Amino acid sequence: MAATDARTLRALGGPAARDRARSAAEAGRPARERLPYMVHAEWTKLRTLPTTWLILAAAVLLTTAIGAAATSGLDPGHCRGTEPCAEDIVKQSLTGVLVGQVVVAILAIHAVCGEYATGTIRTTLTAMPDRVRVLVAKAVVVGGLTAAAGAAGVGAALGTARFVLLSQGFDHAHGYAALTLADGATARAAVGSVLNLVLVGWLTLGLAWLVRDSAGAIGSVLGLLYLSPVLASLANDPTWQHRLRKYGPGPAGLSVQNTLRLDRLDIGPWPGLGVLAAYTGAALLVGGLALCRRDA
Amino acid sequence: MDTTIEVAGLRKRFGQSLAVDGLSFTARPGQVTGFVGPNGAGKSTTMRMLLGLDSPDEGRALIGGRAYRDLRTPLFEVGALLDAAAVHPHRKGRDHLLWLAHSHGLPTRRVDEILELVGLSGAGRRRAGGYSLGMRQRLGIAVAMLGDPPVLLFDEPVNGLDPEGVRWIRGLLRAMAADGRTVLVSSHLMSELEDSADHLVVVGRGRLISDTSVAALLERASDGRVAVRTTARTQAIAALSGAGGEVAATGPDALTVSGLPSERVVALLTSYGVPFSEVSAHRATLEEAYMELTRDAEEFRAVAADGGFAPHPGED
Repeated sequence: MAATDARTLRALGGPAARDRARSAAEAGRPARERLPYMVHAEWTKLRTLPTTWLILAAAVLLTTAIGAAATSGLDPGHCRGTEPCAEDIVKQSLTGVLVGQVVVAILAIHAVCGEYATGTIRTTLTAMPDRVRVLVAKAVVVGGLTAAAGAAGVGAALGTARFVLLSQGFDHAHGYAALTLADGATARAAVGSVLNLVLVGWLTLGLAWLVRDSAGAIGSVLGLLYLSPVLASLANDPTWQHRLRKYGPGPAGLSVQNTLRLDRLDIGPWPGLGVLAAYTGAALLVGGLALCRRDA
Repeated sequence: MDTTIEVAGLRKRFGQSLAVDGLSFTARPGQVTGFVGPNGAGKSTTMRMLLGLDSPDEGRALIGGRAYRDLRTPLFEVGALLDAAAVHPHRKGRDHLLWLAHSHGLPTRRVDEILELVGLSGAGRRRAGGYSLGMRQRLGIAVAMLGDPPVLLFDEPVNGLDPEGVRWIRGLLRAMAADGRTVLVSSHLMSELEDSADHLVVVGRGRLISDTSVAALLERASDGRVAVRTTARTQAIAALSGAGGEVAATGPDALTVSGLPSERVVALLTSYGVPFSEVSAHRATLEEAYMELTRDAEEFRAVAADGGFAPHPGED
């Protein structure tokens, strides 16, 4: 036992090492500088789980592949839209975002509900007792990863679709320009799609803090995003159809992908994203309150 | 810096049951304070309130005069082992320590140092899901000691450990206290704290049963009894009970006497010509002392049950 004592104290380095460790990390560091450490911790936490990388890869691949599939079915000669005959090829190319946002929701749930399922949340809140900052740190990391994966997915989707569309005959002869981010509306749809993904990620984070359990969290986010378009398609009253599409977070957020016939939309591109942002803010507020008020 | 753990009038209710019912005690630096009681006595709940995980309904749970939630760099102030199984099974042991180190700006070097200290250097690069219970306990201890804190809270640290691991933890607890740290360690078995605790806080059903030093507790349980070793048991019993002593046979050649000081026992045996090989103060074991305390607690428990309290579920 004497050997254990000696070894223990040597390894701990005794009081001198303790002072060193503390002065290195505590001395002269005001409380507000703790947030970067917490973000670093949350980043380390997520990157050291293999599942994180699988989810991110799935988000990129599905966004790209579904965009390619959606555009490969288009034919410039057989317009599905009304006159003047024109396909919104940008929106079609970004169809994969509809599925990408489900994968992003899974990432957010993985980051929060995984902690509750394994009990890691208690270690997290013991190391970082400021719960508001924990919420912010997690939002920064999940938001950053989502933005990166979203940008990669949206970029790859547009690049693939550009190639597919040209081979389908969507060229100058049929009145279409090749997809390019140099076009203002296309750039807005692309950036907006990435923002939509980030907002869905944060919306899910808020719900996950509230619900804690994976199944409950995925259920509530899917309901929130996809129930309003389903109800809109079932509704007989055109006023209600319009309202459900205008104020449902799912369809409103994706309105930012439109590049044609903007005057006929239920809600404009940026106001639509604003509706989604409002839902996200509310979810984070409620989730944050639950996190701060409840026992861990 | 003050590193005393202070629990005062602490109360916590979960639904119908009172998990902690007006508990008060203090754990001081330089000592191992044992926190003992049967399962469901409110030990883990008290620890969670000390760590700011659960909020008390009433009372205070402070460390160095401060609430845990107000600590800016908690890993440097308080080390805690709550539930060793609470590690993500897909994360490597070393990575678990790494994110904790990053939360306080500690270098990676510290992670490897602490892994070696707890004997997990080899296993650190394996996923925690494959760890044995003993390895998880060691990882939990590593988490607690990562920031080299002056206060340590261990909830049932020897649960599921092999004898070598138990010995290691005991040595560690002693070393930490000898180094001037405040060590609060809970257990549902008094025997686990034998030889390691200096002070004991005994709880039952969320209430304080006893708050005393190990020495005082043993003395009380020993209660001035004298142990006698003799080959002439019958003669010895006759001689000692004749002088007013209360004698109990504890073995074929062993007796305990109460009501007579040891000098008087020696004088009596000598004057009656009874042979004896040993007369000593009887030393109760911690387990005996605990049995005595919990016997009272059993009565208390019966009263409490009559009072309509439901047993508190789900705590180990």
